[in-house]
Order: sequence, then structure tokens, then C-alpha cells
Amino acid sequence: MPFNQKLQKFNAKINTVTIGSGDKTVTIGGDSTYPFYSFDAPSENAPKIGVEISDMGLENIVSEGIKAYYDGASTIGEMAKKAAAMEGADFVALILEGGDPNGVNKSVDELIAVVKEVADAIDAPLVVEGCKNVEKDAELLPKVAEALQGRNVLILSEKEENYKAIGAAAGLAYDQIVGAESAVDINLAKQLNVVTTQLGVNAQKIVMNIGSAAAGYGYEYVVSTMDRIKGAALSQNDNMLQMPIITPVSAETWGVKEATASEKDMPEWGPEEERGIDMEVMTAAADLAAGSDAVILRHPEAVAAISRMIKALA
Amino acid sequence: MALNGIQIFKLTPKKNCKECGCPTCMAFSMKVAQGAMKIEQCPHMSDEALASLSEATAPPMKTIKIGTGDGEFTLGGETVLFRHEKTFVSKPRYAVALCTCMDDATVEAKLAEIPKVDYDRIGERMYAELVYVNCGEGADAAKYTALVEKAAGLGRTLVLDCKDPEIAKAALAVCKDSKPVLNGADASNYEAMNAVATEAGVVLGVSGKDLNELYDTTAALEKLGNKNLVLDTTGADIKETFANTVQVRRAALKDQDRTFGYPSIVNLVKIARGDLHLQAALASMFTMKYGSIIVMEQMTYAEALPLYGLRQNVYTDPQKPMKVEPGIYPLNGADENSVVVTTVDFALTYFVVSGELERSGVPLNLVINDAGGLSVLTSWAAGKFSGNSISSYIKENVEPKVKSRKLIIPGKVAVLKGDLEAKLPGWEIIVGPREAVQLVKFLKDLQADGQI
Amino acid sequence: MLIDRIFNGNDAVYGLTCQAVEEAIAQHGADKAVEFPHTAYCLPCYYAVTGVKVKTLGEMKEALGVIKSLMTREHQLDDALMSGVATALCAEFIEVLKYLDGAEPYSEPYYGHLPDSIIRELGVPLVTGDIPGVAVIIGSAPTAQEGVDLVKSYQAQGILVTLVGGIIDQAQELGLKMGYNVRIVPLGKDITSVIHVVSVALRAALIFGNVTPGDAAALIKYTSERVPAFVNAFKPIDDVILAAGAGAIKLGFPVISNEDENITEVPGALIACPNVADFNKVSLEARNIKIKITNIDIPVAFASAFEGEIIRRKDMQVEFDGSRVDCAELVQTRSMDEVEDHKITVVGPDVDEMELGSKNPIAYVVEVAGKRMQPDFEPVIERKFHNYINCIEGVYHTGQRDMQRIRIGKEAYNAGFRIRHIGEVLYTQVKNEFEAVVDKCQVTVYTDPAECTRIRHEVAIPVFDKRDARLENLTDETVDVYYSCILCQAFSPSHVCVVTPERLGLCGAVSWLDAKATNELDPNGPCQIITKERPIDENLGSYEDVDEAVQKFSQGALEHVTLYSIMQDPMTSCGCFECICGIEPFSNGVVIANREYAGMTPLGMTFSEMASMTGGGVQTPGFMGHGKHFISSKKFMKAEGGIERIVWMPKELKETVAERLNKTAKELYGIDNFTDMIGDETNTTDPEELVAFLTEHNHPALSMDPMM
Repeated sequence: MPFNQKLQKFNAKINTVTIGSGDKTVTIGGDSTYPFYSFDAPSENAPKIGVEISDMGLENIVSEGIKAYYDGASTIGEMAKKAAAMEGADFVALILEGGDPNGVNKSVDELIAVVKEVADAIDAPLVVEGCKNVEKDAELLPKVAEALQGRNVLILSEKEENYKAIGAAAGLAYDQIVGAESAVDINLAKQLNVVTTQLGVNAQKIVMNIGSAAAGYGYEYVVSTMDRIKGAALSQNDNMLQMPIITPVSAETWGVKEATASEKDMPEWGPEEERGIDMEVMTAAADLAAGSDAVILRHPEAVAAISRMIKALA
Repeated sequence: MALNGIQIFKLTPKKNCKECGCPTCMAFSMKVAQGAMKIEQCPHMSDEALASLSEATAPPMKTIKIGTGDGEFTLGGETVLFRHEKTFVSKPRYAVALCTCMDDATVEAKLAEIPKVDYDRIGERMYAELVYVNCGEGADAAKYTALVEKAAGLGRTLVLDCKDPEIAKAALAVCKDSKPVLNGADASNYEAMNAVATEAGVVLGVSGKDLNELYDTTAALEKLGNKNLVLDTTGADIKETFANTVQVRRAALKDQDRTFGYPSIVNLVKIARGDLHLQAALASMFTMKYGSIIVMEQMTYAEALPLYGLRQNVYTDPQKPMKVEPGIYPLNGADENSVVVTTVDFALTYFVVSGELERSGVPLNLVINDAGGLSVLTSWAAGKFSGNSISSYIKENVEPKVKSRKLIIPGKVAVLKGDLEAKLPGWEIIVGPREAVQLVKFLKDLQADGQI
Repeated sequence: MLIDRIFNGNDAVYGLTCQAVEEAIAQHGADKAVEFPHTAYCLPCYYAVTGVKVKTLGEMKEALGVIKSLMTREHQLDDALMSGVATALCAEFIEVLKYLDGAEPYSEPYYGHLPDSIIRELGVPLVTGDIPGVAVIIGSAPTAQEGVDLVKSYQAQGILVTLVGGIIDQAQELGLKMGYNVRIVPLGKDITSVIHVVSVALRAALIFGNVTPGDAAALIKYTSERVPAFVNAFKPIDDVILAAGAGAIKLGFPVISNEDENITEVPGALIACPNVADFNKVSLEARNIKIKITNIDIPVAFASAFEGEIIRRKDMQVEFDGSRVDCAELVQTRSMDEVEDHKITVVGPDVDEMELGSKNPIAYVVEVAGKRMQPDFEPVIERKFHNYINCIEGVYHTGQRDMQRIRIGKEAYNAGFRIRHIGEVLYTQVKNEFEAVVDKCQVTVYTDPAECTRIRHEVAIPVFDKRDARLENLTDETVDVYYSCILCQAFSPSHVCVVTPERLGLCGAVSWLDAKATNELDPNGPCQIITKERPIDENLGSYEDVDEAVQKFSQGALEHVTLYSIMQDPMTSCGCFECICGIEPFSNGVVIANREYAGMTPLGMTFSEMASMTGGGVQTPGFMGHGKHFISSKKFMKAEGGIERIVWMPKELKETVAERLNKTAKELYGIDNFTDMIGDETNTTDPEELVAFLTEHNHPALSMDPMM
């Protein structure tokens, strides 16, 4: 008696969202299975990888490998070009961390100049991440959306506290894609999608960032939230949870002790470069296994490894 | 169909004899329903009741034990596909691979490297629990046995990959007492391998060229009476391996197909040889999705730190939160004059808070006391992070050791300030920020103001 | 009369428009291009209403025919309003002719046509409420000062002000700084220039509302619901202005005017307001515009960091103590016209007149009004007062109702904190946090001893008694809906609480009224309405509606839930239950254990062992988590016979619930002192001994039908 193979077919699917304009676009979502379950039904779009660069350049980068990759790039525009050309990269993610009022606190105008320089330098699809401060982002991201009219960029992200300003600007006024960020909880994710669509934003133009963590740092919440969101989207056909998921990985992984502690301080741990890469690789792989449709990474080797994994599984 | 406690209770003798170890038949029935006890543990169950219950209460996936002593591990026994449905129970175990095809120097280097990774993370020992010993092409019994003996010297539980019954027999002769796994049965040799494994009393690994062959071979082995199995779901490539591993687990748990109700072996060396970062990615993938034994080329700190952290997270029991030990944790070179900061013992809070505190570079003493392993607001609401609990811990454990009399408390429990001031005379209570991410700026500002 | 005037005005404007278009064609030819600068929407108003893009003079002439078709003369209000729209479209035609050949007809300070980019920019603050409204002021105010004061009052509230006609001259006369950057936009001298703000509203509908051009119904729905504009028209109002106003009303924008001749009010749409000073208030109320309050006007800080601050006697300026003197805190629902927003009244002496360190009476009554306000929300708002007052730096608050105690510290007093500031804090916080239900709020703080006594005994206590009585009388049968609560899903993903009046959430913290208020305040939040229209079995408490809701909110993990049974599809538990009850087969009843009880129960299981079986959103027939309060409910396992089934509970819990439980037992079964029949750990924790105890006490459960 052979194995009675039972396929798990869902009548619902994740929305497809295309980021970018012109010839260079990238499309995520579209699947009607759990991640990489191509034995149940063929996959529409493999997950995509974004390469993250910062308005702060290499200032906060500790990895020698990342620094080496951008060697010779003297402007943010040149960095963006290199990021777009990285092997395995599907899009570029610009994080405006310098805007944080508790940090360098760059002005909105200064950051918009950075955004424009990057946008002018590359034609690859672009994701712009704010500085994470809700008040500043509420001011900054609508200006980003305005500055990049016509580029169909993904704006990361609106949160419960500032969804009106960012959702209205990105999703309504300037016709970009809205990134909806919630804190690892299915109900919060759904609620944000509901109120964003109530503003009038088209549900097909929303991508979720359901929150993330580095492996070992409360990652169980990420797993269960993604499992449940995919489950509700596919088996319950819940159209307020069918938005594809993007996960900025590097911002989490390059800050944890496992990646930052120097070999001098922790000799038994070995070179920090390898630790940083593996923390990024393993967290990204776990995100993809749980349901991310796109991940944002930094290290060229991590991008290459995850790209190989996606190709092998797709 | 799983039975609930009441349905099981109806079939018990209802004598409350306590011979099963439970005070009442109801308590016993509830435990059986949860899978915590077996129906056979009741000595007074009638045969009919046993027959009707044992099938219904048998778990969909067998629990397989390998190794002995400190090296004994439980594999399988899962009841759900997703951890939010119910806790995952048996962590995947990682094996570092050796092969007869390696030269002696490589083998020695590997054997020297494996024990280096051995550390504690929130009360759990983290190390490569298993060593995978592959019998490569052309190796004879003597060569393989020699390698197995060397590997056994490490004291880790072994997984033998050997498809030749005679060689396997020879290798088991030197290590069977430590209960290794013999991964070697397939459609062509399962009868002979079954005899070898059964005789040695070890778990047998089964493989097949595809899922059908794996299924048939497993069914044939069960027919021979062997239900002490693990299934090698490694396929020709990464895609096939993932498909096999997921489908085997899903068939067992979702479709109740008990023939596939065994733990898995996923051999990353076969499908990603030489590509260490890809192996890292896949190790993470199969930790998430249904690998029971995951075989890798190496386990250095670079792989171990994220991987074991991930495993610890994914296999947490939501009802038993991860806790850190109470104590004073001096950070950034703090001494007895450095300011005191306190938060709860919930591991996630501790990690996030201590990470931010370290980033601030400000020397401080982080004091953790028993708050029930809950987050700040939850433990406060439960009365476990209160003026009483904090002040008594500080009086007993901190005051004798630390001279500073400044205490920073989480902003979410600002409400404790007055109470703490009353209970800790001589202390200045400073209300910190509500979120950990605001700590760096908060501390730097305090430092700049000369307050700490 | 009113309608005739609108028709007249419309006819006049239409005639002028036809004439102007004819003249333009005569001069430039029918193929001459017409357009406004910097817009992708041609003639935006005409395009939005009809879906047709007009690009030449010839096309304009054809379009005039379409406009004519709107001008029906049935003498109904709606005909008049549609004629208003026709008037607006005509105004757009007249205005666009000014832009022929790339002319720049408007110059400082006039703006005329506004480009698309301004709309995109305006859209965001309009959506966020940073610009809470758009005022359109037409004509000349009775005096320049009154006009400018009105404009400034809107400006101070963040409202975008557009000006048409004489008011612009008045503003210039008094040197008012105008311009888009200060949110005062003079459009033009002629009444037709009002179309430029209408154009903004309609383009907003196309850009932000995704309204299809030509879908007039959707267009009007969008402007009515989403564009918070209103018109202030100064007298004299001629027929043309009236016709244009009718167009505004059709789009949902109320017109407020001081005209008193030849005009009839249309409730909610055309509003007479003789005094210009009242325009602001009347306009905001008519358009339901709420102004966000960003900072609290008090001389000390306000933050949650001060919540835990304790004011010691030696640091105290004065205190108020409900346990010694008459105090009260109260929220009262009023009708809209009974409340003057932000009115703070102090009755009695201020802190300056109180002796240092003295004990004084205080009573504050917060009167609120709102279209969605319900008296049931009063206690929910009141319960927050403790938190509000405690967050004031240097002020401390405990207790509630008429038993609160407040201390004002010396430092706060020296910084200028006075009684009025308590009112400011309550006002601001209530307006901010209960924005969804509170439209207007006024606060009266009494410190006069006689008044405090009166408020406490004649106002507050009767209200509290009435509320308690209402809670007592609320039953599952007397309400139309229940509520779901999924606050705990972060911990327990598949758990859903169904909260009914007689069965509060199992955590003990969410009553039906709380759930109701949560739902009103946050309609997308954790508490959703569950109807109970399709009962399956009322004794079990099973409803098709409840099952559907539970399925939906548990993402399919749960299919059926009964409200009143612990044996059949009992309600699940998240893990934060106060108590668990479990079936005890030998005595044919249930045992209840509370979280605080660490010992053994006659079930052979401790609370934590029972908890491990019932938590996590799984259904475990025979076991159920619940709140303490539920034990004395008439609905407690009603399907199995009710509270008569309770055979054992820990002594402490028994004492806590005794009074209420005995009352219910007396009411339902005529049993006196029912709790005496219930065993506890001082009697036994062994099932056989329990049966003996129950037999001895003649417990009713022993003779009831078997539970399984």
C-alpha cells in the first residue's frame, strides 16, 4: 500500500504586490500554500531579498565584509548602486536611521535629499524605511512618499500611532505601497490593516511588517504570529490578513550581542564576522520558513546564501 | 479520534485506588487525555476498555529514545504542526558529521572542535548532542569501526550511517551500549538491518528513494515488529528534502497516518556539501519545520549561537516562561558604586533590557529578582513585581553588596515609586522609560546631568 | 420661497455663463483650449460630477446642456440643491474663462485656482485631523474686527480658512497675515471664486477617496463624510450666493449665516446664527468637528511617570478626604445644548484660602455630551479619574466614587497649581481618551462644604445606587447583544471570551459594560458585538451567532461554544482565569479552585494541574475557567442545574462569595445558608470523605440527575 499523499489546497491566496516602476519591478506574494510547500501547489513568486543601506552610510556598520563590499563608494548614491548590484539582491532598502530624534536627529529636508539621491542613482525597486520614531516618521515618510512620486516604492512603515499620516500620504496622496507595521500579534496586524483600508488605502497596496526579532530573542512570537497569519489568510480566507509580509532582518540581527561582541572580548566565540553573518542568515531563513515574502538583509554573504536557499526551494 | 478526559473516565473502574500514582481516577483520565500518561498504567482497566482506548489514545507520532545517561534524548512525540496549537515537545538535535572519507587529520580536527561549543543559555546546556558517523564508499568494517570508536571517545551519542549489515554489526559491537542510532535500512536491506538493529537494541533509521519507498519500507519494518524507528527524509536535493520532511510530519499529525509517525533525520551534508552558510540557513529552516536529527558539517559558535537560541525559542512552553536566575548582573564594568537598575526575570525582557543597557555603555548593576518569569506589566498585575518583592530583595541581597542608593525602575511600573520610597529608606527611586529602546538616551541623559 | 430664490440665483448664473461662453467662442473659436493650471483633472468639478473631461470652448458649450439638465424645477428641496450644484459648475466655467491663453487672473493676495499638489499635501493633515476642518467665509462681516476675530478663531484651532469677497478687504484692513502657509487662503473677490475650494474638495474625493469621476452619489458621500468643510456667509445673502450655498449643502457642507431676512432655516444645513461671535461654535457643532487638544494647560507636568508619586504629610499643602468629609467624583451624561465645551467652574474656596495641611471636601462633576455617549459609559470614564489625577506632578489620588482622597503637594501649589487645574486635567483627558463618544465636556469642581454635601448625598449617591441597581438587573435575557473579547490572544491564540451581563470575562476584569464601552471606543478593537438572534438551545446557551463569532475570532480553532454548560462545548480559557471548576463524579457535582489556593482538591488535582488542562484555548468538557463573580450567577452551569452543583471550594473563596452565593441559592432553590453545605479543605480533600460530608449536610447535588 503506497503512501497516500494528501495535498493541502487552499482556495485563498496571499495578495500579489509589485514594487517599483518601469522595467525593474519585483513582485511578492501570490502563493496559496504555506511557505515553500510547492508540493501542494506551484509557487507564483519566490520570496525576495532586499539589501539595506543607511543614510548614515557605513558609520554604524561593524562588519568588515559589509564595509569591504562598499569600498570605494563615496556617496550614498554609489552605495545604492552597489547594493542594487549585489548578487542575489532583488531590491534596495534605504533606512533613514539618522532621523531618529534620540540619535543624530537629521532634519526631514536632509533625509529627503538622501532619498532623492538614492532614487536618482538606481532604477531598482526601492523600499524606504523610516527612523522608527513614530512622530518623526509621521512627518518624514509622507515627504518621502511625495518625493518619490511615480516610483511605486514601499514605505516602511506606518504604525498604529501614525497610520493616518503615513497611510494617507503613501497610500492615497502619492500612490505608493504602504508598509503596515505591528508588534508580533495577529490581532494588532489585522486591526492595522482594517483601519488602513478604512482610510481608503487599497488592500492590494499594503505589505505587512508583523514585527521581527533575532533568533533567540523571543523569536517564538514571530513564528506563531506568522503561522497564524498565514493560516488565517489561507484557510479562513481572511482578506484583512492576506497582505504579503516583509521582514527587515538585519536591523535586528546586527544589534545583538552574538553579532557585535568582538573576538577580543569573547575569544572562545571566534570571529565576529562569521557570527554576524550566521545570525543574519539563520534569522532570515527562519522568517522565510514562517512566512515572510521578502526579507531585508545587509551582508553580501548572507544575501548570497539566502538567495541560494530560495532558489533551491522554489 | 482523540478522547477527552470525561470519555476516558467513564471507562475507568472509578475506584480511586491510587495505584496508578494519581489520587483519583478523574485525575488519571485527564492526564491520559493530555498524553501525559498511558492508559495501560491503570492496573484495573478491563480488556475491552483497554482495547477501545489504547488505539484512540495512542499518540499519532511515536516518542523514540536514543542514547544513554546524559546523552539520552527523546525524539518525536509531537502532536501538532504549529507551536501555537500546543507546545512542541522534542527539540531537534544537531549532529556533526564525520566520514570514513576524511583523512585522519580532518577527523582529529573535527573531534577537537566539537567539544569547544558547550555553554549555558537560560538554564539549558548548548552543545552538539550527536556525532554522525558516515560509512563512506569503499570503507570496510575495520576502517568504519575504527572511526566509530574514535567518535565514541567523545562521549556524544552517535548516529551511524551505514547500509552494510555486516559492517554495521561490527560497528555496533563497539558502541551499542551507548544506544546509538543505526541509520541504514532501505528497500534493499531492511530485513537484514532490522535484525542487526534489533539484536543490538538500537533505533533503526530508514530511508527510501522517494516517499513511497520510504513508506513501504517503514510499513514492512513495522510488520516485522520494529517500531523503534527514525525516518531519514533526506532527498536528492534541498527541495525534495524539505518536501519529504514536511509531508512525513504532516501525514502523521494531520492525516493520522501512523506509518509516518516517526522522528526524522535530515542530512544537510548531503544536500549542501561544502556550503556552510547555506547549511546554516537550512539548519534554521529544518529547526522550524520538522527536523528531529539535523546533520551538519560543523557546529562552531557562529552556527550555535543563533541556532540554539532559535531552537530554545521555538520549543518554549508558553505555560512555562523562560526565566533568568535572580542576581546582580554588573554591566559595562560596574562596581559597587554604580547605579542599580531593576527589571523582571522574564528572559525576553532581560535580553532586550540588558542589550540596551550594554549599548548605553553606562556602568550599572542590573538586579533581577524572581518575578515569576512574566513581563513587567503582567508580573506587576500578578503581584510578583511589587514594592514588597523588589524592596525585600534589595534589602537582603543588594544592600550588603552595592553602595549606590539609586534605583531605576521600569517606566511601566512608575506606580511603584512611592511604595518603594517608603519601603527602601535612603534610596532614590528613579522612574525609567517605558520602553527598552529609550534606555540608551535615558541613561546618557542621566549621566550627562551628573545624576548617576 | 427659499427654493424660488435658489432657482432665481441659479438661472441668473446660468444665463451669465452661457453668455460668457458664447462671447469667448465668438472671440477665440470653438477649438480654443481651456484649462486650469497644474491640474490633471481639466475642469475638476465638472469632471468629478459628470466624468467628462472638458478641454475646449466648444466642449464647454455642449457641457452647458448637461448642466441645464440638472436644473429641474419641481420645487422640491432636492431640485433646489441640484440647482445649487449646477450653479457651482457654472461658476467653474466662468472662472476657467479667466485663465484663457495662460492668463494669470489672480495676484497677491488672491490665490484663485489651487494646484493638485496642494490637495495632495492637504490630504494628509485632513485625514489625520491635524487640519480638523475647512472654513469657507463669504462676504463682509458686520465689522472688520468681528470678521478677523472669526478667522483667527479658526486659525487657532488649526482649521484651514478660505476667504471670498469682502472679508479679504477687511482682513487686509486690519493687517492680518494671510497665505497658505498660515492656513488662511484668500480665493478671490467674486462669488464665483468660491469654486476653487469646492474644486479642492472634489479633487480630494477623486485622489483620496478613489471615487470614479461621474459617480455623483459616491462623490457626495465622500465629501459629506470625509471633507469637514462648512460655509460662513455674511449678510446680505443674495440669490446667487444662496444658490451657491445650496451647492455646498448638497455636498454636505452646512451653511451658517447671520442673514435674517427672506431666508428659512434648513436644520443641520442652513443655519441662522445672528451673532458672528458664535459662528465658530455653531459651525464646529454643525459639522461635528472635534479639535484635538495637544497640551494640558496646567503649571506642573503631566505624565505617567508621576503615577506612583506619593505626597507625604510634611510635603502636603492641602488634602481632600472622602472618608472624613463629603467628597464625590462623578460623570454625568447631558444633552448637547446643556454642555458648554471646556467650561471649567470652581464653586467654593481655592487652595490659597485653605489652611496649610487642612482636610477639605471636594466634589467634581464632569458633564459630557455626545451623539454616541451612553450613561453606561459613565463609570468607565469615572474609573480613569484615578489615573488622570495621579499623573499630575505633585498631586496624589486614591479611591473612587465618594471615597477618593487627594493630596496637593507644596511644590505643586508653589508652582501655581489650583483647583481649576483639576478640572483642566479631567477635561483634557476625557476629551482625548474618549474622543469617540464625548463631543463636549464641562467640569464643575466644588470645594464649598455645603455644595459638596449636596452633590455627594443628593446627586452622586443616588446615581451610584441607580447604577448598581442596573448592574443587578442586567441579565443575559434583557440585552440584545453579547461581546467577544480577544484581549488574551497574544498568549492564547485560539481563545475567545463571550462576555454576557451575567458572565463576565473569565479573568474577572471585563464586564459586559466594559466590553460594550471598549467596543464603542475602539470599534476595531478586541471587543466585538455578537448578536444572539438565532438560538439553537437557550438552556445550553448555544446560538448560531455565537458559534459563528467564535469560529471567526479563533481563526477556525473553535466551532461551537455554549454559554451555560461545562459538559457540552464549554467556553475555553486563555489561562488568566480567576477560578476553575471541574466535575467531581463521586458527588455528582463540581469542585471550584481559585488561583490563590495552592492545596489539593477532591478531584485529585491542584489548581495548577487543572489549569494546565483548561488553559490555552482548548475545550475540556467537565472543566472550565471563570471569574469569581460568576460563581454566584444564576447562569453558572445552568444547563447542568446551576449552583446547586457546587460541592467543594477552598474556604477563603467560599467566604468571599458566600453572601452573594447564598442569596442566589435562596432565590433559585429556597436554600438557606447554602455555603454551609459546601465542603472545603478544612473538611476534606478526599472524594469519599466529601460524599460523606455532603450526605451529612444533605447537599442537593447528591440527589440530582447524574452529570454524565
